[in-house]
Amino acid sequence: MKVARPDSLEQALSLITDGGVPVAGGTAFQLEYAQGTTPPAQYVPVGHLIPTGIKGLTIGAGTPLEDLRHAGIPLLSDACRDVAAPNIRRLGTLGGNLAWRKGCLVPALIALDALITTTNGSMPVLEYLSAPDGLVLSITLRPLEGGQIQSTWRKVGLRQAFTASVIATAGMMSLCDNTIVQIRLAAGGGATPAQRLTAVEHWLVGQNIHAIDQAILRQRLEDAIIAVDCPFRTASYRRKVAAASLAAGLFGLPLAPRNKMPEPSKTAFPPALTELSRLKGGDRWHTRPDMPAKLRGTFPYLTDKRADGMLVGRILRAGRPHALIRSIDTTKAESLDGVEAVVTHRDIKGLNAFGIVFQDQPALCHDKVRYTGDAVAAVAAIDAETAERALSLIEVVYDDLPVISDASCALAPDAPPVHTAGNLVTAVAHGRGDTSTGWAQAVHIVEDTYVTPRQMHGFMETEGGWAAPDGDGLIICAGGQHGSRDQMQLARILDVPADSLRVVTSPTGGAFGGKDELTVQPALALLAQKTGKPVRLHLSRAESVQAGTKRNPLTIRMKTGCDAQGNLVAQEVEVISDCGAYASLAPGVLETALEHVVGPYKIDHYRANGRLAYTNNGTCGAFRGFGANQMTFAIECQMDRLAVLAGLDPLEIRRRNLRIPGSPGVLGQRVAPSERLSEMLAAAAHSDMWQPFPVNADEIPGVGMALNYQGNGLGTIPQDEADFGLGLKDGKIQALCGLDEMGQGLTASLHGAVADRLGCARTDVCSVTGDTMLAPDSGSTTAARGGFVVWQGVNRTAPAFEAALLERAATIKGCTPEALKIVPGGVGETRLNSSTPCVSFAELGEIAPVMAHYDFPKTDYTKGNARFIFAFGATLARVAVNRITGMVRVVDLEMHTAAGPVIDMASYLGQMEGGLVQGLGYTLTENMSYQNGRPVAGNFDSYMVPSVKDVPEAMRITAHEGLDANDPYGPRGAGELGIGAIMPAIANAVATATGQCPATMPIAPETVLEMLEGAHGPL
Amino acid sequence: MVRFSLNGVETEIAPDAMLLTRLREGLGKTSTKVGCEIGRCGACTVLRDGVAVNACLVMGWQLDGAEICTIDGLETMPAGQLLIKAMEIENGFQCGYCAPGVMMSLAGLLSGETIPTDAMIEEALEGNICRCTGYHSILRGARLARDMIKEKHL
Ligand code: FES
Ligand code: FES
Repeated sequence: MKVARPDSLEQALSLITDGGVPVAGGTAFQLEYAQGTTPPAQYVPVGHLIPTGIKGLTIGAGTPLEDLRHAGIPLLSDACRDVAAPNIRRLGTLGGNLAWRKGCLVPALIALDALITTTNGSMPVLEYLSAPDGLVLSITLRPLEGGQIQSTWRKVGLRQAFTASVIATAGMMSLCDNTIVQIRLAAGGGATPAQRLTAVEHWLVGQNIHAIDQAILRQRLEDAIIAVDCPFRTASYRRKVAAASLAAGLFGLPLAPRNKMPEPSKTAFPPALTELSRLKGGDRWHTRPDMPAKLRGTFPYLTDKRADGMLVGRILRAGRPHALIRSIDTTKAESLDGVEAVVTHRDIKGLNAFGIVFQDQPALCHDKVRYTGDAVAAVAAIDAETAERALSLIEVVYDDLPVISDASCALAPDAPPVHTAGNLVTAVAHGRGDTSTGWAQAVHIVEDTYVTPRQMHGFMETEGGWAAPDGDGLIICAGGQHGSRDQMQLARILDVPADSLRVVTSPTGGAFGGKDELTVQPALALLAQKTGKPVRLHLSRAESVQAGTKRNPLTIRMKTGCDAQGNLVAQEVEVISDCGAYASLAPGVLETALEHVVGPYKIDHYRANGRLAYTNNGTCGAFRGFGANQMTFAIECQMDRLAVLAGLDPLEIRRRNLRIPGSPGVLGQRVAPSERLSEMLAAAAHSDMWQPFPVNADEIPGVGMALNYQGNGLGTIPQDEADFGLGLKDGKIQALCGLDEMGQGLTASLHGAVADRLGCARTDVCSVTGDTMLAPDSGSTTAARGGFVVWQGVNRTAPAFEAALLERAATIKGCTPEALKIVPGGVGETRLNSSTPCVSFAELGEIAPVMAHYDFPKTDYTKGNARFIFAFGATLARVAVNRITGMVRVVDLEMHTAAGPVIDMASYLGQMEGGLVQGLGYTLTENMSYQNGRPVAGNFDSYMVPSVKDVPEAMRITAHEGLDANDPYGPRGAGELGIGAIMPAIANAVATATGQCPATMPIAPETVLEMLEGAHGPL
Repeated sequence: MVRFSLNGVETEIAPDAMLLTRLREGLGKTSTKVGCEIGRCGACTVLRDGVAVNACLVMGWQLDGAEICTIDGLETMPAGQLLIKAMEIENGFQCGYCAPGVMMSLAGLLSGETIPTDAMIEEALEGNICRCTGYHSILRGARLARDMIKEKHL
C-alpha cells in the first residue's frame, strides 16, 4: 500500500479521484480488512488538511472524538462517550466517523440536524449519508432552540461498553407549556440504516406530553423504525429497544413494577470466614513473585522470543468445515524466495494423530479436514510476510462434504460421519434407585432444557511459541498445561525418543484449559526438525478463534421432582454435548458433567444419560469448570424453581436436601472428609446480599444464589500422580514443580508453601516450573489439582530437605543440627529467638533436590471416573435487569468458598474474582456460535468477553479455611470454584426480577424483555 | 521512511507499516503485546505524545516526529513509577499479558493534569481487555496509584 503525502486539499482530492482512499484517524480500517475488505492501493491522509477544533456549534471534521466527548456538547458528547474506547477515540475523528457511515454517532448528528460542509458544498446530514459528496470539512450542529429543550441518547450494544452498536437512538424536542413544538427522532448505528422518524414526529407535534399514550407511541415507533437481523440480534429486538429508548428517554418510564425478592431463612450460625483482601489480609498479603516483571514488560512469555536467524512459522488452515483432501501441492510455496521449509502430512514419520483421550486429531491433515481450523500444512520462512505469501501458494484440492453443524443431528442414523466410526464419541449413563418409585412420590416437578454456549477461553496470549534444534533433539517452547504429556504426544508424532525432546510450557499468558491439548507444537516441531533452525510461531487472534479449543456446548434436559415438603425424590437427565471435530478432553467433560448430575444433594432415584457427538463445529475440550459448572447451572436453577413450587425460600430447599457429610458420592464412591456445604449455605443465609439495594429507574432488581460442589483432580481412571523436589542452589531454595504458571499464581503458591513450611522468607525461594528438562513431571495443570500438588510436594520433601540443610549448617558452625533452625535468609540459632541468620543460604552451597512421588488422592470406585476430593462454595448475585434493553447488569457478587487453607491470598482471591467474571461473561455475553460449520465471531470485535464496564461494582470473597481434624489432604483446588456457580446465581437472580428462569445461555436480552412482559405486562 | 522517537531513541518506520508490527516483528521489542490487531483488546497500548493509543491502529504515516513511549519507558515517567509500585502492592495482574497495555492506558491517564476519579479510571480502561482478573485487582491498583499521586501533590 502506498501512502500519499498531499500538501493541499486540491492535491488530496485529485489523489482521491484517482482511487486513493482518504484517511484521518484510520481506526476503522484494520477492523474492515479483518472482516474481508481489501486494503486500498493508496491511502490519502487528510487529517492535516481539514479543520480541527470546536468553534461554537461548528466542529472541524478532524476533531478527535475524545475531545468532543469532554466538550460538553449536548447529545454529541454523550454519544461520543459510547464510541469504542478512549484510546481509539483519540485517533478517530468526527469526520471519519461520519464518512464511515456506520458510526454510532449518526443518530445524534441527525437529531442535531447537522449541516455537513464538504469540499463540494453544504448539505444536511441525511442527504450527505445517502450520497456522500466531497471530503467532509466541518459539521455544524443545529440543535432545537426556544422553549424547553429535552434530548435523549442511548446506544444499545452487545455488552455494557466498548461494543459495536446494535442500535443507537437520539431524540430532541422543544416544549412550550408541555406541548411538543418541535421534535426530532433518529435511529442508526452499526447495521441499522441511518433514519429520521418523521411520521412519528408529525404525530407527536402539538401533543401534550402528559397526554401521550406510551403504548401507542412505542407501537408507532416500532412500525416506523427500519432495522435488520444480524447473527447477534434480531430486527424486531432492534425496533423494540429503539422505540423504548426514545419513548422512555423523552417521555419517561412508568414506575417500575414491584417484584418479590426472596427472604432467606437463617437457622445456623454463620461459619468463620476469612475476608480475602489486601486490607483485611494483613501480613498474609504478599506481592506475587511474578508481579514486578509483569508490570515492567520484562516477563519472558514464550511468544516473545526473538533471535538472529530465527524463522517465522505459519499454519495453513482448512478454511472449510468438512472436505476430503484430493491433493496438496507445495512446490510453488517451496520455491518462493525466503521459504525454508513447507511441511505436510508427508513429513510426519510417526503417528499422524494426537489427542489426550483418543488420538483422533491429525497433526497435519492428509485425507480429510473436519473443521475450518484444521491444520493442513505449515511454512517456515525468513519473515512473517514471506511465510504468509507461501501459505497462499500452497495448492490444496478439496471435495466438500455435507456439514454436520448440530450435535443432535450428528447422532441421527443417516448422518454423514465426521469420523469413519460414526459420530457418537462416547456415551455415559448411570443412576440409582428406581425413578418410577421416585416419580410416584413427586408432588412438584420441574422439567426444562438448559442450553450452555460454546465459550472461548480468550486467553490474552494466543497459542504460540518457538522450537529449535537442541543437541540431537529439539526444544519446543509453547504455552501448555502438561509438559511431559505434550512431550509424549510429540515424540509419538515425530517418532523420536521422548527424552530427545525438551518441552517448555511455562510461563503462559492465560490458559483456562485451552492450552491443555497440543496447539501449535506439532507444526513448530516439524518445522524446526525440517529446517534445522529455530522457528517461532504465534497465532493471530483470528486464527486462534478458528483453530483453538472451546468449551463444549451442552444441552441438558432435566426433570426433577420433590415431595410436598420440598424433599427431592427423583430426577432424570439427558445430555447431548457438541464435541466438535476432535475428542480432545470432551469425553472427560461429559463424564464430569454427569458426575455432578445431582449436585450436592441427596436424591434416591435418578437416571442420567449423556452422549457426545462429533460435528464440524470447531473443536472443544477442557475449560475451567470442565462440565461441572454446566451441570451445576441446571441443577441449581431447578432447586430455585422447585422452591417456588414448594413454597420454600432458596436456602431452605437446599438445606432440606443437602447430602449428608461422609455419605457416598453420586457414583457410590467414598469421598474425602471436610465437607462444608452447610457452612456455605449458612454463610449465604447471613449475607447482606438479600437486603434491598438501589438500581436505576429503568432497571428491576433481582437476587439469587447457587451452591458450588466441585470435584478436584482427574478422577479414578486417568493416571494422576506428581513428582516434586526441593533443593538448594545459588543461595535459593529451589522448588522443582513441573506444573505451569499461567497466571493462576503457581509460583506465588510455591514460594508461600515453602516459606510457611520451612520458616524462610518467600524471597528465599525460587521455583522451576513447566520444563521437562529442569522440572519433574508433576502432572497436568488442570482440574484444580495444583493446590494439592504444591502443598503435598512441600510436605513430603520438607523434612528431609530441612534435615540436610541443618546438617550442612551444623557442620559449618560446628554445632548440632538441633541447635539450628531455618530463618529468613539462611539458618539461625534456635536459642537466640531471633530471625537473623548465622549462615546465609548462599554460604550453604548446593543441596541436591529431595524428591517425592505421590498420587493425587483417589477414591475406590473404578467402574466410571469418580472424584474423591471436593471443594465447596456459595455464590450470590445481585442483578439489575434493564426494562428498555433487556440487558442484565450484575451489580454485586459475593462468594464464599471452602477449599481448605489458603496458600497465597492474592492468588486465591484472583482465582475467585477472575473465575466469577469469566463466568459472568459465559452467562451474559459470550457465545462462539457456528453457522453451517463456520464460527460467526472472528475476533474480539464480535466475541464479547466482559469489559471493565461489565463487571460488578463490588465483589466480596471469603474463605472458610478449616478442615476436619485429621484430614490429611490439605488445600483443595481453587482454580475452578470461581466459575462453578456464577451462572445459576445470575440466572436465579434474573428469575426473581422477571418471574422466569432463563434456561438458554448466554441470557438473550430479547428473551428477558419477553419474560418481563410476561411477568409485568407491557413495560 | 518516517522518523519517530521510541522511548527516547530515534527510529524509523515505513509509512504503511503498523506500529505494533514494527515494534514486535521489526525491532524485536516484544514488551508491547499483541492480542487482536484490530483495536479491540488494548494489549498493544502505547503513549503517542503522552496519550494512550492502540499501536495496532497507528500506522507509520501517523508518527512523523512523534514520541512513542512503551512499557519499556514506563519507569522513566514519575507517574509510571508510582503506578508500578501500587500495582505491586495490589497484585494487579495474573497472567500479565494484558499488563503492558493496561499500564500504558493508566500511565496516560495518571500523567494528565487532573487527578482522576474512580469513574475516569474505569473509562480509561474500557478499551483494555483482561481475561484473568475480572478487573477489580487492576482497579484497586489504579486507585492506589491515584491516591499515591494525590498525596505527593499535596
Ligand atoms: S492488538 Fe491492538 S488492540 Fe488488540
Ligand atoms: S492478567 Fe491475564 S489478561 Fe490480564
